[in-house]
Amino acid sequence: MFWAAASQGRLVVEGCSSCGAESFPPRGICRSCRGRAMVPVEITGRGVIYSFTVNYQRWLPDLEVPYAIVLVEFPGHPGVRVAGRLRGCPPEQAAIGMAVEVGFEPGPGGYATPSFIAAGGAT
Amino acid sequence: MGTDLFERRVVISGVGQSVIGRQVDRSGLALTIDAILAAVEDAGLRLDDIDGLAMFPGGGVANLPGYANGNLYEVQDALGITTTWRQGIVEGMSLPFYGPAQAVATGQARHAVIWRTVKEGSASRNAGGRPAYGSTKPAAEGPLAWLLPVGMLSPVCQVAPYAARYMHDYGVTREQLAWIPVTQRAHAALNPDAVYTSPLTVGDYLAARMISSPICLYDCDVPADGATAIVVSAAETGPDLRAPVRIEAMAGVVEGRPSWEQWEDMGRVGYGAAAAMWARTDLRPGDVDVAQLYDGFTIEAVWWLEAMGFCGTGEAGAFVDGGTRIALGGELPLNTWGGQLSGGRLHAAFGHTAEAVRQLRGEAGHRQVAGAEVAAVTNVGGFEAGAALLTCW
Repeated sequence: MFWAAASQGRLVVEGCSSCGAESFPPRGICRSCRGRAMVPVEITGRGVIYSFTVNYQRWLPDLEVPYAIVLVEFPGHPGVRVAGRLRGCPPEQAAIGMAVEVGFEPGPGGYATPSFIAAGGAT
Repeated sequence: MGTDLFERRVVISGVGQSVIGRQVDRSGLALTIDAILAAVEDAGLRLDDIDGLAMFPGGGVANLPGYANGNLYEVQDALGITTTWRQGIVEGMSLPFYGPAQAVATGQARHAVIWRTVKEGSASRNAGGRPAYGSTKPAAEGPLAWLLPVGMLSPVCQVAPYAARYMHDYGVTREQLAWIPVTQRAHAALNPDAVYTSPLTVGDYLAARMISSPICLYDCDVPADGATAIVVSAAETGPDLRAPVRIEAMAGVVEGRPSWEQWEDMGRVGYGAAAAMWARTDLRPGDVDVAQLYDGFTIEAVWWLEAMGFCGTGEAGAFVDGGTRIALGGELPLNTWGGQLSGGRLHAAFGHTAEAVRQLRGEAGHRQVAGAEVAAVTNVGGFEAGAALLTCW
């Protein structure tokens, strides 16, 4: 569900058809009411950086550094936090509270992996 | 309180370690046997007294090269003993002696040995640097599927955002945090088995290269080669043991979301374990004479200082500032063997446990805390947390 939507550039998480709670990553069970009827929910709005790191270490021989990794949460979507790279600004400009747009970029194995684009300004 | 607690029916009877270093030219099996033989002798026991064997990590878990050594079957074959209890501990190992204590307290074994052997120093050398997480696996799967593709290629990257958030929320600075690695390096200088013993200054720390902000080189533990073995025995055998140490209380709690990137607030990972542990004893934080708090990264020791109640939430920066409180001679000497930051990444609180036992016996040499009667030991492995108090026999 998540990776199929990701290939279309869409961020899809699990929503519970019983209680409405949302969750990520997909577990096939609602973490709030333990219901099993989970349906796709697309997140389209801006996210907010919960926290971040700027990685300088070349862990792999062909890894380009530095880059910023952000943990992003979404207003109105409690229970959803997504890790991804930050694009659209120098990595050192990443900041807690910064607004970001959802994006994806080509990743290993042909998968589209989550990334986020600096939206400018705090939410 | 709680004289029927199961941990009161067991003691830590022996600790032993192999040669420890950045690179040690011995196999993982050889290092493991070195440590086991030393621990059994240290306990005042013979190999034939041992009827329980356990190791971490069991099941061949190897997300990192050099992480898992000393196979349970090979070790038992080498020692030529009969066991009535064995355990390869993968998850659920809040503390090294937790599972063995359960086994001994319930009569499944009388004297159990657990070991942890790392060859990560050699692995780092062979890889030309600290290897990427998951580099021993052909594909990112399970929890790693959400981490590796976006560049969270090391535990450093995984902890760093939580360190950044903690420092942001509480105004804690790198200038303050520097005092943990700096003080522990001074302790390591008094430990002949420590990996790094040359002096480290706050200036050195602030000038060090950043790995994943805000975590710099000296915030990371040192990949090492070495083995630690711990013997856990039935308390009733105490009079026959050389120098046993009591387990006053211990607890392991996993709460919140057990996931590197989903934790609500990683800074609070130890709070559940600490609260459960304190509920099992009449001792209070002020009774602790020496603290061996897990320090895979500087920030983990910071969080343990707060979770254990040695200072308030967000106050650890001020608590460690200047190093006075956490140095030898201070109110809470911290990681007196140098910790993993300078003593070596022996991992999973095995090195911390060994040092706590030495301190309580008065066998810590030039770094001995005078009159140490109560030692705190904590471990955190990502989102797994365990806390214990050890006391003199």
